[in-house]
Amino acid sequence: MRVKLIYSHDVVEKPVLAEIILKTGLAINILEAKVNAQKGELIVSIPASGERLEEILEMFKEEGVQVQKFTEIIQIDREKCISCGACVSPCPTKALWLGREWTLEFDEEKCVACKTCVDACPVKAIKIQL
Amino acid sequence: METLRSVEEINEKIKRGDAIVLTAEEMIKLAESSGIKVAAKEVDVVTSGTFGAMCSSGAFLNFGHSDPPIKMSKCWLNDVPVYKGLAAVDGYLGATALSETRGFEYGGGHVIEDLVSGKEIELRAESYGTDCYPRRHIETLITIHDLNQAVLLNPRNCYQKYDAAINSTDRVLYTYMGTLLPNYGNITFSGAGQLNPLCKDPNYETIGIGTRIFLGGGIGYIIGEGTQHSPQSGFGTLMVKGDLKQMSSRYLRGATFHRYGVTLYVGVGVPIPVINEKVAQTTVLRDDEIFVNIRDYGVPSRPDLRPILKCVSYAELRSGKVTIGERDVPCSPLSSYKIAKEISEVLKKWILEGQFLLTKPIEPLPEKSEFKPLEVRGKEPRVRDLMRTKVVIARPDDDIKVVARKLVEKGIDHLPVVDDENRIVGIVTSWDLARAIANDKHRLEEIMTRHVIVALENEAIDVVARRMARHNISGVPVVDQANHVIGIITTDDISKKIIGGSITV
Repeated sequence: MRVKLIYSHDVVEKPVLAEIILKTGLAINILEAKVNAQKGELIVSIPASGERLEEILEMFKEEGVQVQKFTEIIQIDREKCISCGACVSPCPTKALWLGREWTLEFDEEKCVACKTCVDACPVKAIKIQL
Repeated sequence: METLRSVEEINEKIKRGDAIVLTAEEMIKLAESSGIKVAAKEVDVVTSGTFGAMCSSGAFLNFGHSDPPIKMSKCWLNDVPVYKGLAAVDGYLGATALSETRGFEYGGGHVIEDLVSGKEIELRAESYGTDCYPRRHIETLITIHDLNQAVLLNPRNCYQKYDAAINSTDRVLYTYMGTLLPNYGNITFSGAGQLNPLCKDPNYETIGIGTRIFLGGGIGYIIGEGTQHSPQSGFGTLMVKGDLKQMSSRYLRGATFHRYGVTLYVGVGVPIPVINEKVAQTTVLRDDEIFVNIRDYGVPSRPDLRPILKCVSYAELRSGKVTIGERDVPCSPLSSYKIAKEISEVLKKWILEGQFLLTKPIEPLPEKSEFKPLEVRGKEPRVRDLMRTKVVIARPDDDIKVVARKLVEKGIDHLPVVDDENRIVGIVTSWDLARAIANDKHRLEEIMTRHVIVALENEAIDVVARRMARHNISGVPVVDQANHVIGIITTDDISKKIIGGSITV
């Protein structure tokens, strides 16, 4: 599951992620990181699901880190989309592709919400909710 | 070449309801399974289709006269300027015209889509007023139904094929070929390949002036070769027109290419009557038999001068990746194959239902046409013309205070740092020096910028000015091929030479 971790000013200097990795022994992969003195935002992939995932998310929350799961972050307006493919090759994680009958397909699991597709779409059919 | 059937005979069959019509995809499959001779004998018409961004598109509009009347000299639809160098209430709305209030977000292509959708559009116009046209200003709302004529007339549509794009630079490029990732990160291409109308009849045996076509969901006509028509190199184009009032926003879509501009996606479908075996042969041309070059858009030159990395087929482009060197580079289209295919199916349906008859062209399209570049006459300055050749330089182990004194004495802001052989290794500015002295640094190499943005002496001034603006810097060393410093050019040098918008040397 891909998750966005938002560190406020109070916790940005604490090694929360490292501690949780050590504690759980899980290989949490950092996909994107934007950190400065005021705020930090990490996009990570946590190799867990169901209750186990919820437990881990709870550990972040206890340390004061805000957690957002990547579900329905990208919305493709199927009425507007012309399946041209302009968003496909710019997508860094191959979350978008032309599938059966050359129709645009999207895999939420792979998406890191980088917004590249939002700009690349000529007909403004992709919206991002963050 | 033996004639299999005439257009007149095909039309008789269409009227009787027994014409055999296949889409280009279906025709390819039939030829593969039964052979081209059987396919040519059985099939009367092959339908093609394409749906891509076609910037050279627009509409002639007639607004009708208000009372009192106005001779519109300037006109806007939803803040998008309409060309008014025509009679009082005629105008041409170009697909790439930008909204004066919303910029790249909205433009001529979007107005055309909104018109076709039946939406209300704000019309605003100005005039100087005459005895016969006293009104000087008008503001009202219109829909496409209020217009006397709304004619889509596109000077260049339907490129037979188009070169693909890649980016060798280290930054993202936003182009009319879409988003191009740095360091050969992706490839984009355009065109419907095996569905493309001109690829299905590249010898223009059946396509010409007067050919009735599917245009934007309505009926249109080919009215000649398109601008930049270059058939001998495989890049034929079409000029087309049709009644906008019959068209549909499914096949006419306003679009924005990020940081590039606006355009219009246009749907075109051409029926190919299978009049002889030669035509049958070309209707079964497949994606793996249609080739284009992949060009480097990292080189800011005219399209045909951009370096070619590889020649590939549409089949390879459509596979989703192309091998460049040792790497598989992700590849994707900008034009919709899905809707191109849908257009070929709609056109097939129209013909089968007897509501669309074929036409024999009045004139064939030219088989030869030169696509010339624009030569710039007169002296246009290059970097070598504006650069200063007496360059004050420094060495990496120079003392900062000595260097600072040099800058003050010579009244300059940029100091290239070179090695023993005069090759560029760094650069410092007066601002770098001020900060270095404040932070108590001593040697130049501690503070110099090592990734130096440079210019070459034969580069165009506009290209170098854009490079400086992008990196937010005010000067660059000019180097030769071996990185020896041979000059320096600054924004000051450039601005001093600009008089009245043109550069004088």
